[in-house]
Amino acid sequence: MIFLFIIVPLLLASLLPLLGKISKRFLPDLLASATMLFLLVLSVLWAKPLIASGGVIQQAFWFGAPLNIRLLLDGFSLFMLFTISLISFAVTLYSINYMEHYGAKANYYALLLVMIAGMNGLVLCSDLFNIYLFLEVAAVASYALVAFGQGPDELEASFKYLMLSAVASAFILLSIAIIFGLTGGVSFGTVAQGLTTLNIKYVVGFCSALFLAGFGLKAAIVPFHSWLPDAHPSAPAPISAMLSGVLIKVSGVYAMMRVFLNVFGMTPALTTVLTVLGVVSIFVGALAALGQNDIKRMLAYSSISQIGYVVLGFGIGTPLGIIGGLFHLFNHALFKSLLFLNAGAVEQSTGTRSLDKMGGLAKRMPLTAATSAVGSLAIAGIPPLNGFWSKLLIIIALVQAKMYVLAVLAVLGSVVTLWYYLVLQHQAFFGKLNENWQAVREAPFWMSAATVLLALLCIVTGLVFPFVIHSWLQPAADVLGKGITVAMNFIGF
Amino acid sequence: MHLFLMIGLVAFSILAVLSRDLLRSAISLAVASVFLALIFFRMNAVYAGVFEVSVVAGLITVLFITAIALTRSEGGVTESKRHLFIFPLFFAALAVIDLLVMKKLLGRIPAMVSSESGTFGQVLWNQRTFDLVGQIGVIFAGVLAVLALFRPGRSHTGDAPLAGGQSDAKGDHHE
Repeated sequence: MIFLFIIVPLLLASLLPLLGKISKRFLPDLLASATMLFLLVLSVLWAKPLIASGGVIQQAFWFGAPLNIRLLLDGFSLFMLFTISLISFAVTLYSINYMEHYGAKANYYALLLVMIAGMNGLVLCSDLFNIYLFLEVAAVASYALVAFGQGPDELEASFKYLMLSAVASAFILLSIAIIFGLTGGVSFGTVAQGLTTLNIKYVVGFCSALFLAGFGLKAAIVPFHSWLPDAHPSAPAPISAMLSGVLIKVSGVYAMMRVFLNVFGMTPALTTVLTVLGVVSIFVGALAALGQNDIKRMLAYSSISQIGYVVLGFGIGTPLGIIGGLFHLFNHALFKSLLFLNAGAVEQSTGTRSLDKMGGLAKRMPLTAATSAVGSLAIAGIPPLNGFWSKLLIIIALVQAKMYVLAVLAVLGSVVTLWYYLVLQHQAFFGKLNENWQAVREAPFWMSAATVLLALLCIVTGLVFPFVIHSWLQPAADVLGKGITVAMNFIGF
Repeated sequence: MHLFLMIGLVAFSILAVLSRDLLRSAISLAVASVFLALIFFRMNAVYAGVFEVSVVAGLITVLFITAIALTRSEGGVTESKRHLFIFPLFFAALAVIDLLVMKKLLGRIPAMVSSESGTFGQVLWNQRTFDLVGQIGVIFAGVLAVLALFRPGRSHTGDAPLAGGQSDAKGDHHE
């Protein structure tokens, strides 16, 4: 059954180009949204009870015959599956209206579904080489989606993304090759056991550095971030939301943390490197965002900054830090997707992404302005919205770990975040209505429905955060907290 | 013999990167790939060698040369010459790191005791089945990417695809 998370989107993606010949809009819209809703329901109602007593490894079957495919579902992978499905569902709803003017909707959904299948495969596999492979599945689909508009900017951004991503893949593959040479296997269990018996900490350090550079490039943490401010704004808005909201977290943060915490085991050196890179990312991203005039570019720099918080939380390595990192990962997926979708609505209505030329849009687009205000306040960490609690948890974890300087810097980073989001809100939505926008109208129904859904989730997650932590984050944090014993438990399966 | 092959591989790879002529670059890459295939053969990785020769040296080179032949007439783009200085610098730095780290590293690698043994077909079909799903995914993504990016329709000469207003933010965000 777990295999459905990979095979359903892949199968639908193979059918969509054909179905697109029969129905250009209705069938692709319906099937893509229905599939994402199905996967979301599957992750909540079916997969959640499955891991009640810990992680499971499930073998896939093909017409009754067992296949040599074993999928690992535990608290961490389920948490990621749920996040991917939730954001993908909102994005497919939004795409119903937004992708109208791009044309080739069936192809667009097919690529989106392949990207989702790649991400689902990545979080469900229990093998380093599979991580690399599914990383590539998601990445190849995302290159095409960034360039989907076919304009010169889109193509340039996609090419830059492709080149840097290829470098990241090369680092990751080299590290996997060295580990395979050392341990004779690539499954998490074999590698974890092999590395503990071999006692070769310098080689592991070298491989960790390669993984850090590779996954760091995918996650766009500083200094590996240069591709993101081009790639994410150039993509169509729903894809920007998917890339910033989910892809950088799955192919960067998830893969890195799974390898570092569950396969290699966290070391004091890694803690230092991750926390420092986290704080540097927070500031570089935030200060760069402050100087932007292009709304989507500002959001892209903000992603670098917020990923910094996530990496900082994981880097602390304490149970509270990990919960904070996971919570911020989920929250950032919600509010950054929301903000990118809103930016797309504004761009579609006005034809510009330049903040200078906006102004007073709240009068014409009240729903977009309101949901954007929720997203901005949430990402800036204003209570009682979700971003406040996750940042608070990370800061408390820093104080508990006696990293006082980093705690102060994290608070300062949040202040800068509030600053540039107030600038964004003020320039785009408040003040006097720019006379060019007299005829501008609110975003169409499905686009508004997606943004309202995400805004409500930002509010509700903030209000019921103890429930979210207890039911979704704690099982994931438990898996990461157990370290390499998680991988060792699966040897022989 | 091994050293000779390695030098050939590195030399032709550098030539592929530095060459100003796309055709020469593609051919250098093919030659580098043949050297790599020979190394694979000598190291008993016969299947890797066959794939390297047939796919990289053969098929991909044909595709490259066809594409170059179709686009040759345009040209006239002046490129920065910075890479002529920067590339050798990086290459030298990497070579030094390689000399210092790799020998020690490779010395640590024990004789291969792979849990995944058997014939090529057995490994691929029976032991690495999940990789096949991933490979199908990658090929699929590639095909769909070609379908999506080479679709007819949207013209970008005016860059004004959106309803109302003027599309002006796209051009001004490149430093």
